[in-house]
Amino acid sequence: MHDLVEFAVEKALELGASYAEARFEEKTGTSIAMKNGVPEGLSILADKGIGIRVLVDGGMGFASTNVLTKESISEAVKKAVKLARAASKVRNEPIVFSEEDFHRVSYKVKMKKDFRDFSPEEKLELLRKVEEEVKATGVNVPMRYLSYSDQLWKKVFLNSEGAYVKSKIPRVSITYNLVVFENGQMEQAPFVQRAFSGGLELIEKDEPWSWAVKDVLALKKLIYEGQKPPEGRVDLVISPEVVGIAVHESVGHPYEADRIFGREAAQAGESFVKPDMLGERIGSEAVTVIEDPTIPNSWGFYLYDDEGVKARPRYLIKDGIITEFLTNREYAAKLGQRSNASARAINYNREPIVRMANTYLAPGDYSFEELIEDIKLGVYMVSFNEWNIDDRRYQQRYIGREAYLIENGEIKHPVRRPILEITTRALWSSVDAVGKEVEFFPGTCGKGEPGQGVPVWMGGAHARLRNIPLRRP
Amino acid sequence: MFDVNEFILKKAKELGFGDVVVLSHEMNRRQIRFANNEITVAKNWHERKVELFVELEKRVAGTTITELSEENIERTLKTLLSNMKGMSPKEDYYGIAEGPFQYRDIPETFDKAIVELDELGEYVERAINAALEEGAKRVAGVLYTDHNRLYLTTSNGVEAFDEGTGIEISVRAFIGDLESGHGTNSVRVLKKFDPESAGRKAGEIASLARNPEQGPEGKFDVIFDPLAFANLLSYMSFMTSAYAAEAGFSFLVNKLNQKVASELVTIKDIGNLPNGYGSRKFDDEGVPTRETTIIENGTFKTFLLNTSLAKKYGTETTANAGLIMPRAWNILLEPGDYTREELFEEVKRGIYITNVWYTRFQNYVAGDFSTIPRDGIFLVENGELRPIRNIRVSDNFQRILEGIKALGKESHHIHWWEVRTPVSTPYVLVKDVGITRATI
Repeated sequence: MHDLVEFAVEKALELGASYAEARFEEKTGTSIAMKNGVPEGLSILADKGIGIRVLVDGGMGFASTNVLTKESISEAVKKAVKLARAASKVRNEPIVFSEEDFHRVSYKVKMKKDFRDFSPEEKLELLRKVEEEVKATGVNVPMRYLSYSDQLWKKVFLNSEGAYVKSKIPRVSITYNLVVFENGQMEQAPFVQRAFSGGLELIEKDEPWSWAVKDVLALKKLIYEGQKPPEGRVDLVISPEVVGIAVHESVGHPYEADRIFGREAAQAGESFVKPDMLGERIGSEAVTVIEDPTIPNSWGFYLYDDEGVKARPRYLIKDGIITEFLTNREYAAKLGQRSNASARAINYNREPIVRMANTYLAPGDYSFEELIEDIKLGVYMVSFNEWNIDDRRYQQRYIGREAYLIENGEIKHPVRRPILEITTRALWSSVDAVGKEVEFFPGTCGKGEPGQGVPVWMGGAHARLRNIPLRRP
Repeated sequence: MFDVNEFILKKAKELGFGDVVVLSHEMNRRQIRFANNEITVAKNWHERKVELFVELEKRVAGTTITELSEENIERTLKTLLSNMKGMSPKEDYYGIAEGPFQYRDIPETFDKAIVELDELGEYVERAINAALEEGAKRVAGVLYTDHNRLYLTTSNGVEAFDEGTGIEISVRAFIGDLESGHGTNSVRVLKKFDPESAGRKAGEIASLARNPEQGPEGKFDVIFDPLAFANLLSYMSFMTSAYAAEAGFSFLVNKLNQKVASELVTIKDIGNLPNGYGSRKFDDEGVPTRETTIIENGTFKTFLLNTSLAKKYGTETTANAGLIMPRAWNILLEPGDYTREELFEEVKRGIYITNVWYTRFQNYVAGDFSTIPRDGIFLVENGELRPIRNIRVSDNFQRILEGIKALGKESHHIHWWEVRTPVSTPYVLVKDVGITRATI
């Protein structure tokens, strides 16, 4: 494949591009679903192609093809160059990329249990295990949608400035939707996912069936023992899962430089964060948020981004202060910085854009007991269902699925649907203590047009929010 | 590509597969994205692919083949076969449609002028300028052209071809950080394309939305702009799939023949809608697409079905395959008899929502959700509009449908990033909609 990506880049330069990159991607894998105990069938993924991105006269063009012949690639390169040239005419200033150090590297994530060595039926057994364990709880779960997916992502990236990055990353996941009907009432755990970069051993170690059992037991308890949550100003402890969605939505997204500069305005929106807010306080001193693609076996794992830049941990917030934005080369240049390797594309037929990878709230030094021991009245939100945030990433809400009352330092009965509806600044300013243990939860982050759902982890340590307005439905 | 289809079908039958569906695509798509009044990137996609579905004694599997050499096709089929042999059957699989069928051309779904269109920047500039003329300062959006060819061959006697084009634009206009508006235009033939209208609407709303105040919370009569209501109906379209209901993702579970909406509400899926962005001559098993009434005068009449699910429930397919998961083509809410002005006059004190995004569910089966108004939001008081900001619609899908008390008489066809299934809807007035907001 090296020849074809090299051919594409050379061809683009020949046609007048000042910068060119070509990215070959091949994805292979299987997915299997099971609905209410019945296997839904097998889906085999085998997709490959090349995407070419160029700069011509300061305009950007992108073209892709899945017909992997020199003729077809040559045609795609011509289109990309032509489109870039035309685009340059409707620009106020030319697009410039930051200077970077590039490498010739090859890396891969190893699988102890290579999923390619297992039959679909053996993979289906993992879903059967979820079915059996859920059934064994005795809880009535009439709707059960389970799915398993594995994919091996191979990439070859080459650009006209000397980058050559070859990578192989396997990804494996299990997702479930479980609907619990008990006592004439219904509760739901939808789209719960467990996901990793690596082999089947990671799923086996993680035991998604245990997560499913925990969920249905919690929902049953909620149905029989759930009470109204307190309303008004209380303390709130949010679990790593809820912390994860909050850092992703209200820290990661608004710190994406393309959004800050308006490039995503028509789709995923802009940002309340402005370039001159670097160095400004946004949260309490207890809040440090890190974005790190290099966490081994993480769902959002990579070592080089899709512009060939080497990845590293990025401190978005340090001790409550905004310290870094997520950038690609285009927006790093605008900020007068180096890229911090946030350019990701979901497939060969998508352009790399600024994305998150694994975002988390850094640990503090509180044990869980210490977090709750001096709370007179509060709520512990363990998991969430409904969530959303406005397109400047300022007004958000998270509704608890599993949640409990905290009274006089103790966890009491479950509470139904406590609602945290709050601004970003108020949320992170209210945190007065953070737990010691970090946990991660997978998700698919949506952005770009056409949409690019990229795998990410979200998480962190438990966080305690003081004196915040909690609502009920 | 019928020669490829026939080769695949022949080889699949030789290997012993039962039902076989071969759906080939040739796709040419162009995109121009723009922001801050300039083009950020221009793209071109050229793809050929074959979607393949096979059945072997009630075991089903699917894949997409992009490398179309005979060797790769044979290798793929053999891989499928070996993978399926040890698999458990899908006990509720009941086969695909028996062809052949007759197909009729759908008016206004193909236009050679779109295929031959060379320069697209001009349309973008027209949209941007229209928004700027209305007072916008920054304009962002996306323009697409599409040219698709579909070739369908099945083991049940279907051989069908469809060719379609499309051109669409989505424009968002900004004045300050908090003042914005949005307009779209999606059509299948060039002469109906009106990028200025999208730009103008975006600019107008942004201008009206200047200096918004914090919005209220409580229960309000809400006028949903077509752009906003299309978002809700697009999410609902997935819930009308029988597959979604079985999997626990639909508030319509167990509600067949029950009242789920106001008497004013008739919702259809129209696969053969002229000039509809989702229109196609046939579904994935070759059944000619058609009009299906999902909700009639408030009563839920049918889920969207493919042949297998229809047989499972003792009824007929609605021509919405998706072989595993039936899906809607174009959702249409029948218009009513109010002019836009009359609709606003109905509201003594309420809210006009021009757009929403980020619709998410607390519980799919119950239908509890929230969604965030974005772009211009207005307090409506005795015919006056006052811009507001920072509110959230927090309610229940069925209750929203039940609360519809008036419908505009003009239908608008909406398709954009947030409205994946195209929707035709008028302005909609809903009573007592739950509105919340962050208080700190």
